[in-house]
Amino acid sequence: MIASRRAFLKTAVLGSASLVIGFDGSGLLYAVEAKPGTQFQPNNWVRIDLDGSVTLTIGKSEMGQGVRTSLAMILAEELEADWTRIKLAQASPSAVFDDLGTGGSDSMRDGWRTLRKAGAAAREMLATAAAARWKVDRASCAASNGAIVHLPTNRRFDYGALVTDAGKLPLPKEPSLKNAADFKIVGQRTPRIDGRDIVSGKALYGIDAKIPGMLHASLERPPFEGAKPKRMQEEKARAIRGVRTIAKTSRGIAVVGDTTWAAIKGRTALAVEWDDPPAGAFDSEAHEKLLEAASRERGFITRTEKPPPATGAVAKTIEATYHYPFYAHAPVETMNCVADVRGDRCTIWVGTQAPNKLQKQVAELLHTTPEKVEVNLTLIGGGFGRRLAVEYALEAAEISRVAKAPVQLLWSRPDDMKHGHFQAASVHHLAGGFDAQGAPISWRHTKAGSFHNISPLDPKEVHDAAWYQDWSWGTYDVPYAFPDIETAYVTVDLPVKHGPWRAVFAPSSVFAREAFIDEMAHVHGTDPLAFRLDLLRGADIVKAGTTTIDRRRLRRVLEVVRDKSSWGSPLPQGHGRGVACNAYFGHTYIAYVVDLGVDHDGKVRVERVVAAVDCGIVVNPIGVEQQIEGGIIWGISSALGGEITFRGGVAQQGTYADFAVARMRDTPAVEVHILPSDASEPFGMGEPPVPPIVPAITNAVFAATGKRIRRLPIRPEELKAV
Amino acid sequence: MSEIGLTVNARKRVVNVDDDMPLVWILRDTLALTGTKFGCGVGVCGSCTVLENGKAVRSCQIPASEAKERAFVTIEGLSLDASHPCQRAWLEEDVAQCGFCQPGMILTACGLLRDHPNPTDEEINTVMSDSVCRCGTYPRMRKAIRRAAALLREQKR
Ligand code: FES
Ligand code: FES
Repeated sequence: MIASRRAFLKTAVLGSASLVIGFDGSGLLYAVEAKPGTQFQPNNWVRIDLDGSVTLTIGKSEMGQGVRTSLAMILAEELEADWTRIKLAQASPSAVFDDLGTGGSDSMRDGWRTLRKAGAAAREMLATAAAARWKVDRASCAASNGAIVHLPTNRRFDYGALVTDAGKLPLPKEPSLKNAADFKIVGQRTPRIDGRDIVSGKALYGIDAKIPGMLHASLERPPFEGAKPKRMQEEKARAIRGVRTIAKTSRGIAVVGDTTWAAIKGRTALAVEWDDPPAGAFDSEAHEKLLEAASRERGFITRTEKPPPATGAVAKTIEATYHYPFYAHAPVETMNCVADVRGDRCTIWVGTQAPNKLQKQVAELLHTTPEKVEVNLTLIGGGFGRRLAVEYALEAAEISRVAKAPVQLLWSRPDDMKHGHFQAASVHHLAGGFDAQGAPISWRHTKAGSFHNISPLDPKEVHDAAWYQDWSWGTYDVPYAFPDIETAYVTVDLPVKHGPWRAVFAPSSVFAREAFIDEMAHVHGTDPLAFRLDLLRGADIVKAGTTTIDRRRLRRVLEVVRDKSSWGSPLPQGHGRGVACNAYFGHTYIAYVVDLGVDHDGKVRVERVVAAVDCGIVVNPIGVEQQIEGGIIWGISSALGGEITFRGGVAQQGTYADFAVARMRDTPAVEVHILPSDASEPFGMGEPPVPPIVPAITNAVFAATGKRIRRLPIRPEELKAV
Repeated sequence: MSEIGLTVNARKRVVNVDDDMPLVWILRDTLALTGTKFGCGVGVCGSCTVLENGKAVRSCQIPASEAKERAFVTIEGLSLDASHPCQRAWLEEDVAQCGFCQPGMILTACGLLRDHPNPTDEEINTVMSDSVCRCGTYPRMRKAIRRAAALLREQKR
C-alpha cells in the first residue's frame, strides 16, 4: 500500500501526466504543466487512467473522522465518477501540496470549496472531449457514472477513452457545479471506503510501517525540561540480546535494537536515573490556585456589549468559579514514527496531522531542505490534535541519524501519557445579573488559561481582542441575548507542554458557560431549556466578537432535543435530566439532553443522550452520527474519567488505569437527530460534538442531586448520599 | 533465546526469539502480522487480543515460553475475505472510526459470543469493558455484537 502510494506520487512529479493543474492560495485553478501522455490529470486531486480508473487524492489525514470517504464523495459527486471504481491516494508534502494539515474541524469546508471545483473541471473537460469526437454540442452531453453520454443518441464514452483528448483541452475557468438537488453521492449513507481493511487487520497505521533493515527504538526522555541523567547502566543495556546501539540524542537516550522487545528490554536495563526535580517544579495544585486568583483579575476584555440606556440596574448578582483540569489525548495508537536518514536525505513513515510542518522541522533538524525529506502518511490510530505536534518524528530522525539505519521509534503507553501536550487547565469566573424584576440582564465570564506552547507564538501578531478571542472559544461567543456582556481572558504561564486537544479551547469555556446558565435559570426559577430559548430571542443573526451566530439554528437544535427527549417528563428517584448547547464558531450547532442516574456511592451513570445537530450540508450522515457518538463518549471520559495531575514537573498518570477513559459499560443509549440546514456548505464534525456534552451531564447531575459540579472530573465522593 | 514452535492462523511457525518476548511482538515484528495492535503492553487496553480455541486472550501478556506449542488466530486469520459474522456485522453497523482498536474489539467480541451466543447488555458490558476505544465507537459496537450474534445463530441453523 505504501509502495503504490509513493509510486503514484512519483509519477505525478515526473510529469508523465498529460496535464496537471492546481489551485493557488485563493482557490483559483492554474495550469502547471501540459504534456501529452496516457493519463488525464486535470488537477492535483483527480487522475484518470486509460483504463477508466479514477484516482482521487486526499489532502487530509484520516484519523477516524472518515475524511477519506467524505472527501472522495465530494470529488466523485462533481466528477460523476463510478463510486465502486475509485481509488484513493494520500497526498504527501511536496511543491504541489505545500500546506497539508488536519485540525480545527475544517476539512469539510475546505474540501467542499476546492474539491467540487476540481471534480467539476475534470467533468467539463471530459464532456468537451466527447462532444468534439462526436461533433455535437457539449450541451447535449451529460456525465454519468464514469462515462459521458450523448443524450439524443445514447452513445457513450467511458472516461478512460477520453483521457488523451481531455488532457489537451484548456481549463475551464469557472466550471459549473452541480445543483444540490442532483446529488447522487453527497448526502447518502456511505460506508467507510477503508472499512474492509480495518476489520480484516490490513489497514496500515504508523506503527505497522516496515521497511527493510529497520531497527526499533525506545526512548528515555528527560522527565521534565532541563533534567540531566545522573546514572545509567549502559553495560547492562548493551548486554541485552538484540540491542545494537545506545543513541544519545538531544531529546533523550534511545536504546536501539533488532526488535521492539529488545529496545524495550534494553531501556529497562539502562535504568536511567534523572536529576531530582528542582524546588518549585511544576505542580498542578499550585497552578490551579494561580489560575483561580487570576480568574478574579480584570484581564484582557475580549468582548463588550454595552447595555442600552433603557436597561434597568442590576439588582441581584450571582457568581461562581469553575475549575477545569488537565487531560491527555490518550489515543490507542501511541506516538510512533519510522525515519530513515541517509546523508542529507530522510524518508519518514508516520501518522501525522501536520505533514508539511513535520517535513520542514525534520529538514531543519538535519540541516537540509524540505524536498529532501520524503514524508509518507499512514492512517492514524487516534489524532484528537495530539498529532499536530511533530516531536516524535524529530526524535525518530535523530535516532536514525545516530544509529545509521532506518529506525522505528515507538512510545510506550506511559511515554504517551506523560509526555503529551496536554489539554490545559483553566479556571473560569462567572457572574450573572438580574434586574429588579428578576430578568437576567448581565453576563460576565473571565477565563484564566494559557496559550499553547507546542509552537512559539508569532511575535509579529498584534494582541488585540480578536487575537485573545482565538484563545478563548466558548467564552466571548456567548450566544445569549444579555443586554450587558463582558468577557475577558487572563493569561497564566504554564511551563508543561500543552496544545490542541479535541475542540481545543472550547470544552472548558462551554462547560463553565452552559453550567452557569443553568445556575441562572435555577435562580430565575425557570426551566433551564426554556430559559435558554428565552435568551436566544431578539436578533436572529448576531455578531459575537469575530464569530457570527445564527440563533435560529441554535433554537432549532434545542427545540428538537426538547421534543425528542420528552423533556419535562418525570424520572425515577436519583435520576436527572440536563441540557446544554453550543454554536461552534457559528458553524456547527449542537444541543444535547442527557438522562442519568446517580447511585448511593455517588457514581454517575449516563443512561441516554439525545443529540440534535445542524452542521450545514451533510456529506455523509454516517460520519456525522459517528462523530456525535464519539464526541459524547469523549465527554463522558472527561466528566467521569481521569484527569492529569503534576507533581515535581511530572505527570503522575501513566496508564489507562490511572487516567481512566470511558468503556463499554459507561456507554449510554445515543439518539442523533441531524437537522435539515439552510447553510450552503458542510461544516466540521470532529470537534463540535465535544464541548456541550460535559455541561449537559453536570446539569443533569444537579437535577438528580441538587449538587452543582464546578470542578471536573466529577468526584463520586462529593455526590455520595449522606 | 530459543526456537519456539507455535501455530498462527492454522500455519505452523518456528521462531527464534527470547523466552520472555511477548506474543504481540512475535506476531508483529517476527511474523509481520500487524493486524494485532499494541496499545499498552500491560493487559489493560485489549488492542493486542487474539483468539486461542475461540477464547480471546491478550498477546502482550503471553511470553514466548508460554506461547510455545499453542495455536492462535489473529485478525488476519479470522476469515479470508472479511466474511466472519463479526466482521460482517462490524461493516454493516459502520462501527470503525480510526479503526486502531477494532481488530482487538472484533476478536474480543468473538470470544464473548462463543461463551454467550445471545449476550445480555450486562454480559456485553462485562466483557467489552476491558478494552479501550478512544474514538468512542461503543454504541455501534454494541449493535454490531447483537447483529453478529444473530448472524452466528443463523449460520448454525
Ligand atoms: S497491548 Fe495488550 S492489552 Fe494493551
Ligand atoms: S476506533 Fe479509534 S480507538 Fe477505537
